[in-house]
Amino acid sequence: MTKKSMYFKMITSALIRRRSGMLVALLAVAIGATILSGLVTVYCDIPNQMRQEFRAYGANFILVSATGETLGRDATEAAVACIPASEIIGIAPYRYETVKINEQPFMAAGTDLAEAKKTSPYWFVSGEWPEEDGSVLIGQEVADVIRLPAGSAFTMTGTNPRGEAFSRDFRVSGIVQTGGTEEAFIFLSLADFAALMGDGGFDVVECSISAPQAELEAIAARVTESAEGVAPRLVTRVTRSEGAVLTKLQALVFLVTAVVLLLTMICVATTMMAVVTERRGEIGLKKALGAPDGSIVAEFLGEGLFLGCMGGILGVMLGFGFAQIIGVNVFGRAVHFQTALAPATVVASILVTGLACLIPVRSATEVDPAVVLRGE
Amino acid sequence: MIAFTVALGASLATAMLNVMLDVGDKVNRELKTYGANINVIPKEASLLDDLYGVSEGHGVSDRHLRESELGRLKTIFWAFNIVDFTPYLNAEARMSGLDADVRLVGTWFSHREALPTGETLDTGMRNMKSWWSIEGDWLSDGDADAAMVGALLAERAGLSVGDAVALESAGARRELTIKGIFEAGSAEDERVYVPLSVAQEMTGRPGLVSSVEVSALTTPDNELSRRAAQNPKSLSVKEWETWYCTAYVSAICYQIEEVLTDAVAKPIRQVAESEGTILKKTKLLMLLITILSLAGAALGISNLVTAGVMERSREIGLLKALGAGNAPVSWLILMEILITGAVGGAAGYFAGLGFAQIIGRTVFDAAINIKPMVIPLVAILVFLVILTGCVPSIRLLLSLRPAEVLHGR
Repeated sequence: MTKKSMYFKMITSALIRRRSGMLVALLAVAIGATILSGLVTVYCDIPNQMRQEFRAYGANFILVSATGETLGRDATEAAVACIPASEIIGIAPYRYETVKINEQPFMAAGTDLAEAKKTSPYWFVSGEWPEEDGSVLIGQEVADVIRLPAGSAFTMTGTNPRGEAFSRDFRVSGIVQTGGTEEAFIFLSLADFAALMGDGGFDVVECSISAPQAELEAIAARVTESAEGVAPRLVTRVTRSEGAVLTKLQALVFLVTAVVLLLTMICVATTMMAVVTERRGEIGLKKALGAPDGSIVAEFLGEGLFLGCMGGILGVMLGFGFAQIIGVNVFGRAVHFQTALAPATVVASILVTGLACLIPVRSATEVDPAVVLRGE
Repeated sequence: MIAFTVALGASLATAMLNVMLDVGDKVNRELKTYGANINVIPKEASLLDDLYGVSEGHGVSDRHLRESELGRLKTIFWAFNIVDFTPYLNAEARMSGLDADVRLVGTWFSHREALPTGETLDTGMRNMKSWWSIEGDWLSDGDADAAMVGALLAERAGLSVGDAVALESAGARRELTIKGIFEAGSAEDERVYVPLSVAQEMTGRPGLVSSVEVSALTTPDNELSRRAAQNPKSLSVKEWETWYCTAYVSAICYQIEEVLTDAVAKPIRQVAESEGTILKKTKLLMLLITILSLAGAALGISNLVTAGVMERSREIGLLKALGAGNAPVSWLILMEILITGAVGGAAGYFAGLGFAQIIGRTVFDAAINIKPMVIPLVAILVFLVILTGCVPSIRLLLSLRPAEVLHGR
């Protein structure tokens, strides 16, 4: 039997024979590794997840015309093509015209209502969002003035840009409250709007994009370059504030993670130390039989490394589950697996266990074997 | 060793629980960077003003709020939750060198308001428009002949910082120096801002304001507050009390309407609603992180306690060999570990307070409020964890035969 195979035999049988002690140690390492990988995964995923939540504030990027005319369909499409599709939450184009109800002037807005719901999730609609053609959303202000409850019908009249008079019946499907200017508008689907006013360009395109300020600025630069006649503008109130709050949140989770990790690692180390200290008798016996300090340290270190490796692997799997629980419960979305984190967790747990083994083994080897064996 | 680990676990629990219980309040304050969440306007004035730019006549400009009443905002039931408020007086003015009228806005920049309660409050637009980027300087309220103009307007009129412009409104003409050019990224970029007193003088409307923006700390909306927002009278007496005494945005609006004459307070849903969403998510996130790390710490500690008890098999064997009964032996060990745990827990509690303060100071620049309810929580937690760690291992050891244990097997 070579020296090497004997070494492995000693390590493996130590692990198998001393089941309860090793199980305690393995459990401790696994818990530490779970918390490490779980928290770090959550920390890495927070900006992404939170950014999605921040889109509740509505559009953070708008496209207007650079020339003072309306935005053509081609120019809009060219501009939208500059935005990475995976980051788009919603893109709602708007057209505005004045219309009359009971001979009183109101502002009508034509938009893609499904997209508007995505870009402005804060709209509070009493009633329903319009589903079919011929039904509209009206602002609270309008509803107050013309006294229309949800579900009632009314006639919209006016003249379109070509000078032709129109008169059409619509049904109020919901009343929208925002606390802002939107309350004075009547929202129609683009198809209805085109039927009244004829085809035409958009006045403004609201985009809700899940990206940080720097990236939005890059997108704006690309839009200016590739889409002629389109002026992109960042809604600074939303982008700046989002940046500020997000930085704070991330710092919070970072510090919490750091504190939890520090304490967990110390916890793991103390457990390992307790487990190794228990074996002082064994160390004494080996020394008495003539084992050099180096080989004893190497043996314990080998055990520690093995434990750290197993615990680390276990921890990576459990930790991902743990991060997934947080992701699903808090954000309702799955978190991404951080590939680089898996080896990092294993290495970290090996380091902590190795270090925690070394300290008690060192102190045990320094003592006279006779004293250790006597049990003092 | 056990005392040390318990101390670590307890400090972790203390820090996490304290941070978790306070995080809502802290994040709520951070979200104030999004600006006001309540807009107060005179009754019957409509948003037509914003839409069509008709501010003279037409039943719009003759409606005002009184500047002298604004201090009352800090006397409502939820006065403590009102963080900032800023009044605005809007008027149309003719600017030298431009054909079209521009919007002139008078406001407080950094105003010290004496409150009816005898305290003073520093408030104003500087606090509420943190996202504005300024070239030049913010105005101060004493600048009688200076103005701030929006970036788009400045570009259109070819103005830069230090230039002089003449503004004419309601017959009054005034020469103003441009002290700052701001970029707000919204309609404000087309406006001219002057101190409130200057605007009141120019438009001949002393002591009047057209609207007030209020920034308040609020609780996320729920079913009750939505119903109340529709019609507060539809609630039963008990529901009404709950609603009135909770910091819902609708309740704060209602209370503002009570103290200001002829005012309508409207929640700005874009801010109010979104704040609720983000706040809820952050709280839930912290709650889950706390629970999971506490579970981890608990497992770790009870693991160590088990190991600690197993180590003492010889002692237990000896005690039993000398004739001690199961119950006294268990009590002896349990009490010993509990005392160690209590000492460790107490030390850990104070260390945890330190950790919580470090987090608060670094992240929010504010101390974390220490909640007394954390003490019993941590105590119960430590007690339960030690118990779960001890009981199974003691039971196991008691079932062993003393002779075998003493023999060392």
